[in-house]
Amino acid sequence: MASQGTSLKSYLLTRLALVLPMVWILLTMVFLLMRVAPGDPISSSLGGHVPPAVVQEIKHRLGYDKPLLTQYANYLWDTVHLDFGTTITDRRPVTDVIKVNGAATLELTAAAMFIAVAVGIFLGLVAGRFRDTAIDMGARFFGIVIYAMPVFFLGFLAQLLFGSILGWLPTSDQASPITEALIVPKTNIYLVDTALVGDWAAFWDVFKHLILPATTLGLVISGIFIRLVRVNVIRTMKDDYIEAARARGIAERNVVYRHAFRNALVPVVTVIGLQMALLLSGAVLTEETFNWPGIGHSLIFYLDNRDYAAVQGIIVVFALIVVGMSLIIDLVSAAIDPRIRY
Amino acid sequence: MKEQGKWRVAALLAFVLVVVAAIGAGAARSAMSHKTAGGIIVDGTTDSVTNIDPAGNYDFGSGTLDYQIFQHLLEAGPGGLTPHPVLATKCGFRGNLKTFACTLRKGVKFHNGKSFTSADVVWSFDRVVRIKDPSGIYTLLSNLKSVKAKGKYGVVFNLKAPQATWPQILTTGAAQIVPKRVYPLKKIKPNSSSQIGTGPYQLKKFSPGQQAVLQKFKGYWGKPAKNDGVIIRYYTKSSTMKLALTRKDIDMAFRDFTPTELVSLQKTKGIVVHKGSGASIRYLVLNLKMAPTDKLAVRKAIAYLMPRQTIAKRVYHGLVKPLYSMVAAGLPGHIDAFKTTYGASPSLAKARAALNAAGVRTPVNITLWYTPSHYGDSSADEFAEIKRGLEQGNLFNVTLKSAEWAQYSDALGKQYGAFQLGWFPDYVDGENYLLPFYDAKSNFTSNNYNSAKMNALLAKEQATKALAKRIAFIKQAQTLAAKDAPIIPYWQAAMVAVSRNNVKNIGRTLDPTFIMRFWLISK
Repeated sequence: MASQGTSLKSYLLTRLALVLPMVWILLTMVFLLMRVAPGDPISSSLGGHVPPAVVQEIKHRLGYDKPLLTQYANYLWDTVHLDFGTTITDRRPVTDVIKVNGAATLELTAAAMFIAVAVGIFLGLVAGRFRDTAIDMGARFFGIVIYAMPVFFLGFLAQLLFGSILGWLPTSDQASPITEALIVPKTNIYLVDTALVGDWAAFWDVFKHLILPATTLGLVISGIFIRLVRVNVIRTMKDDYIEAARARGIAERNVVYRHAFRNALVPVVTVIGLQMALLLSGAVLTEETFNWPGIGHSLIFYLDNRDYAAVQGIIVVFALIVVGMSLIIDLVSAAIDPRIRY
Repeated sequence: MKEQGKWRVAALLAFVLVVVAAIGAGAARSAMSHKTAGGIIVDGTTDSVTNIDPAGNYDFGSGTLDYQIFQHLLEAGPGGLTPHPVLATKCGFRGNLKTFACTLRKGVKFHNGKSFTSADVVWSFDRVVRIKDPSGIYTLLSNLKSVKAKGKYGVVFNLKAPQATWPQILTTGAAQIVPKRVYPLKKIKPNSSSQIGTGPYQLKKFSPGQQAVLQKFKGYWGKPAKNDGVIIRYYTKSSTMKLALTRKDIDMAFRDFTPTELVSLQKTKGIVVHKGSGASIRYLVLNLKMAPTDKLAVRKAIAYLMPRQTIAKRVYHGLVKPLYSMVAAGLPGHIDAFKTTYGASPSLAKARAALNAAGVRTPVNITLWYTPSHYGDSSADEFAEIKRGLEQGNLFNVTLKSAEWAQYSDALGKQYGAFQLGWFPDYVDGENYLLPFYDAKSNFTSNNYNSAKMNALLAKEQATKALAKRIAFIKQAQTLAAKDAPIIPYWQAAMVAVSRNNVKNIGRTLDPTFIMRFWLISK
């Protein structure tokens, strides 16, 4: 036991130590990519509008003509102090972008993950249970097609069918204009904010707006869970204790749901955390398609304007979330399974 | 066990039914909520807002929002182009064209209840000049030497150099009036703070990237708005905005649909596409220090071959008009200088003759640059037509290249020999279509055009008070510009807004000032 405890501690310390260089590499890559890409925030906003001399004067005033190393050092110093500065384009504190727009992304990604897990686990279970039948083939085909489909394309189809042709659901934004105007943001998660004040008309409006984007993103990610759950169910169904349960006369449904399924889900739980990166990248495209005011939507806006401060700040947050989730999942896995430790 | 299974299925079905019913009920409730706000106009746009503070923005999206909240001493339109008093009652030059005085309107209140006085005017102009915001808006006041209060209701502007168009400058975003001390003297007021102006609307809520909520200001000094308020909704894609309009999620949309979307909307039941005279233009800039456009004969040949009618018809489906001068049609002093010099339609024979006379070997290899990310996907079609036009008779061998705006705007003149640009005027006067393109000091196109004759003409124009004389100089400048051909204009756009058919009076605000005056609109 003592050696197990030491091993977990050293694993934890090693993983934490690896986080720092990982984040530093990411920060440096973002900095370099933004500087290497042609254009800059000043030319982007003023080019083709004012004389070049004015553009140069403003660039000089804001320090964009300073040596790259100086800009890099200032950037690292600010990042270490969690001072992400203000966006160049619209002078918003980057932390405000992260807080407000991040909440919208959290709302979308949480709903999407719920749908991904619900659909993925259900179909994976059914496919594994009825292996090599039409149900299995249908579920696998669905999983492959939905995972391969670009999320924005699926979004367009959803908007066309449910928004335009059937007219059932809204096709864009987080809420209708009047609802949005009346919401008093507390958490910036509109479902929560409307529920907190008991405005159920607004709650349903927000919920309806969430359905299409969350379902689009969730379905794409469910493709991974379908295959994973199916494989795990099939593998678990071959285990000895399952045969033993059958031999004892336990009904097949109970063998599947009470024994095989629960054990098959254990590795799936760890995968859920690892899908965070995929979820965030999918959220960027989903937010663009549905005009959802999340942090991905903001990222594209600031990228178009070469807004160094905003892009750097947002990417740092993305990186910290993904690295943090990976670390937690690794630690949980290591705690459960000692074979995973160093 | 079977009974249990039946109960589970029944429970699942009941849950689904409850969700569907709730969505439907929610839909009914939402529709009623929207209906009770029937006096609110919801407008969609693909523009974005940078800063609401007038001292910190120089872009269309911010300007459109600002125009509802803040006002000027003088404004142009609706309909007419001559600046008329708004927060002033009377303005005029004193003596020469370097001193301009205004008498201010009494009884005007800001949205916070404070009275408007000359101190606010002085403060507003001083801060634009002091802050020198990176948006570049302060450049519009580059000729301002000082502004002083003369009593509580008088101001005097002292200019560095004579400028007959100073009244027009007072209609721009740089000249919007804010209350003293409420707006910091040396820095921009953040968007998250309350914005205070004298306009017909108060800004009630601003959600960055989402929407701006404007409420009718009950204490407004002038004619009240024809609606209870406006919500401006911001979209990144015009296709999403089009869906919202057809679904009745928004009442109208101003800026910017693609030509194909506009044609589709024109055929959509319940939708009206409104067009008014506009003043935005599109043109091809030719670099005078890069081959082959450093040769006048090459520039003339391009001018002879420019397929304006084809672009207007095939690419824009008649939503733009062929343009034969950098000064927009409809403005005092406009002449079709390029039509006079090069003809109304492309002429292969004249283009060939121009090249032969200069001994230029054909086909002339030329690269044309455009940017779809700033000027829309139709830019590719536009330049495909230009390529086709220039390659007639094997006179040119055209390579088309494109770059996204951030890269493109940085490379202008440095790397590109011939490139696309567009222009919205800061103020609606022929001068604002000449100085930024042909004056050596103000030229932003980086095409290295520097003509002593043109510089002298434009200096005279700026220093001339009498309109008839100024117009004469503007005409001469256009003739010279066509002769030198450093820039080839090719289309002028209408001001377009699209709405549901229950929205009224949009046409009243469609004019060359390109300002959307929501207070005139009702439904």
